[in-house]
Amino acid sequence: MTQILELHDIHTFIGQYHILQGVSFTVPVGSITALLGRNGAGKTTTLKTIMGLTPPRIGDIRFEGRRINGMRPFEIASLGIGFVPEHRAIFRDLTVEENLKIAERKKGDYVRKQEMIFSLFPDLKRLINLRGANLSGGQQQMLAIARALVADNRLLLIDEPSEGLAPVVIEGLIGAIRHLAADSTVVLVEQNFLVASQLAEYYVIIEEGRSVQSGRMQELVNDKAAIHRYLGAA
Amino acid sequence: MEQIPAIMRKNLVLIITLAVMLVLFVAAASGMSWQDFVITLLRGLAVGALTFLVASGFSLIFGLLDVLNLAHGTLFMVGAYIGWTVYVRPDTFVDILTPLALIISGFTLGDVWRLLAQRVPQSGLWRRVLPWVAIVPGVLIGFGVMRGYPVASWSLENYAESPVTFSFLASQGQRVIPAPATFGDGSPLIAFGGLILASMLIAFGLTLLRQSDIHTAAHVSWRHVVPFAGLIAGGLVVFTVNEPLTAWLFALDTNWLFLIAVLAAVLSGMGLGALMESTLIRPLYVRPIYQLMLTLGLSAIGIEIVRAIWGRPEFTMPKPALFAGSGEGCPAESLWLALQNSCSTMLFQGGRIRIYNEIFIPLVGLIVLIAVWLLLRRTRLGMIIRAGVQDREMVEALGINVRRVFTMVFALGVGLAALGGVLAAPSIGLSNTMGESFLLNALIALAIGGLTSYPGAAIGSLLVGMLQQFIIKYGQIGIAIPLTGIVFKPSPPLVPASTILLMVIILLILPNGLLGRKE
Repeated sequence: MTQILELHDIHTFIGQYHILQGVSFTVPVGSITALLGRNGAGKTTTLKTIMGLTPPRIGDIRFEGRRINGMRPFEIASLGIGFVPEHRAIFRDLTVEENLKIAERKKGDYVRKQEMIFSLFPDLKRLINLRGANLSGGQQQMLAIARALVADNRLLLIDEPSEGLAPVVIEGLIGAIRHLAADSTVVLVEQNFLVASQLAEYYVIIEEGRSVQSGRMQELVNDKAAIHRYLGAA
Repeated sequence: MEQIPAIMRKNLVLIITLAVMLVLFVAAASGMSWQDFVITLLRGLAVGALTFLVASGFSLIFGLLDVLNLAHGTLFMVGAYIGWTVYVRPDTFVDILTPLALIISGFTLGDVWRLLAQRVPQSGLWRRVLPWVAIVPGVLIGFGVMRGYPVASWSLENYAESPVTFSFLASQGQRVIPAPATFGDGSPLIAFGGLILASMLIAFGLTLLRQSDIHTAAHVSWRHVVPFAGLIAGGLVVFTVNEPLTAWLFALDTNWLFLIAVLAAVLSGMGLGALMESTLIRPLYVRPIYQLMLTLGLSAIGIEIVRAIWGRPEFTMPKPALFAGSGEGCPAESLWLALQNSCSTMLFQGGRIRIYNEIFIPLVGLIVLIAVWLLLRRTRLGMIIRAGVQDREMVEALGINVRRVFTMVFALGVGLAALGGVLAAPSIGLSNTMGESFLLNALIALAIGGLTSYPGAAIGSLLVGMLQQFIIKYGQIGIAIPLTGIVFKPSPPLVPASTILLMVIILLILPNGLLGRKE
């Protein structure tokens, strides 16, 4: 199976702090891959490093075989990578519709994708003229994911989609993300191991800035020792 | 409809503040005759409009870029001086166009330079020296060529040829075309070649200096040559028709000439803004304090440059014909008659309203207010600006080149300041320090209205303008303090103090200003 994303020995510094100290993994095309690890292990920084928001000082990142480290974030995004950051980063001042339109990379993206997005998240259609600030957490999360779908993205980086959401809402979200994965590859950061194990086919565990273990999710679910050691939860 | 009480509850403090201000305003106005009130109101609107032009640009730049551009007042002044030059000395303006076009030409080949820069070894001594090997000779060649380049100008030593005299002559309607400057023994072709070469060297050098930009993908196609060739061709065309063009501008109706002057000032302001952002401010985004020092320093340098070119003495910019008449039928009975007879003033219940200062400037302010509001609300650029004010990283992560938007917003902001400057020139005259008071006004207006709020900038500017003008008026007629029989006449120093006092009071009640968002 070909790899859509390859990280090789990534080292990222934020200020003087050596946050990522050797992260390497690959993501197969069309899969859902979960980045797991404790709080502060470097999962979010890994996503930001891929996006070029915290560029790596050392290492090599390839998207579809093309080297992307050193590129500016907007160029990386333009290659076909969608980013759903931690805390959603919905534009509060923009309406739901504007939040979607701003993600257009080609004119008419929004009009073309409208139907697909609203079939995935029917609630958003009703809220279309509401300002981002007036949405609930779950609605914001849907909008953040929907925003990443407006342009033609072949890879989606989703950070903590279930954070702070009610179980009922999470269930809907899982369905939606699973649906997305039919068309594009997903890299997911998820604290909630239950959610991650339901969604992902592959996993990467990051511990203190290093990728320490990776493989098929199925194998990890049965490896209670590893779960306990790296994730602290059963 | 249930939302309305909720909104009211949320903004209760704001509503009470506005209500108290309204009561105070009505109380202040009730001591005045209707005529004084209307005229003072219009003057307040005028000062408010000019303040708004500075404040709105300042707040757009601060909101999106987090840059406190302390040079904004200086750029306001530069706009005025550029407008004056086009308006009073069109020959100088036409002479400058050709070298300007040639100097800009090299910068339009950005992608070509980037492609070349990618070929240069990315490290080592050579890499660090090379930019300067390009820039220094470029600057030297440019200056060398411009020394001999004929640009009609005024003289700062000779009073008969000073800007003051030219302003006076223009206001008298005596527009004598000064003798055109000519190439002495130099050849125009060498000058043109030199300027293009200088431009290319400097542009290439600056590209090399901007490390982070170099890796950006560069695509070179024949399309990139079009603006380059267009600028050169345009410059040469202007050069060949220099004399007829100058004569035409001198003979042109001053209303049209004024319009050209305004456009030239705004475009130069935008160009200066884009240049400033892309060369000086951009490397300092990670160092806000240095940025503050930089804009402060630029402000001082700008004032000195203006002194070197236009001199220290203050002078006026004549009003365009439409607002300058004083002949038959003037002062007019109504606004309509005033415009028909091109009167400079109109009568209002025994008082006089100056059409340019008190009608035209507020009107332009209103038009700009609406235009920028439409830009922010109805265009994609506006959407990106509003989003970027909140979260630049996310905007960039959506595939939008935020840096280019930064440059555009900086250019827009400076363009607005330059517009303010050129509009203010016929009203308050040109001086090296005209920008400072407006920058201060604008800062106070923004503190009152909320630093990054666009409607806040408008309301704050309006309040500042009104308060100043009402205090000035009460300084003349006195304000009767109720129940005491004392008539208080605010002295002139109270004018700036009053706005600061208003700011302090409002910030004590609403720490983020009237419409500012909570931090």
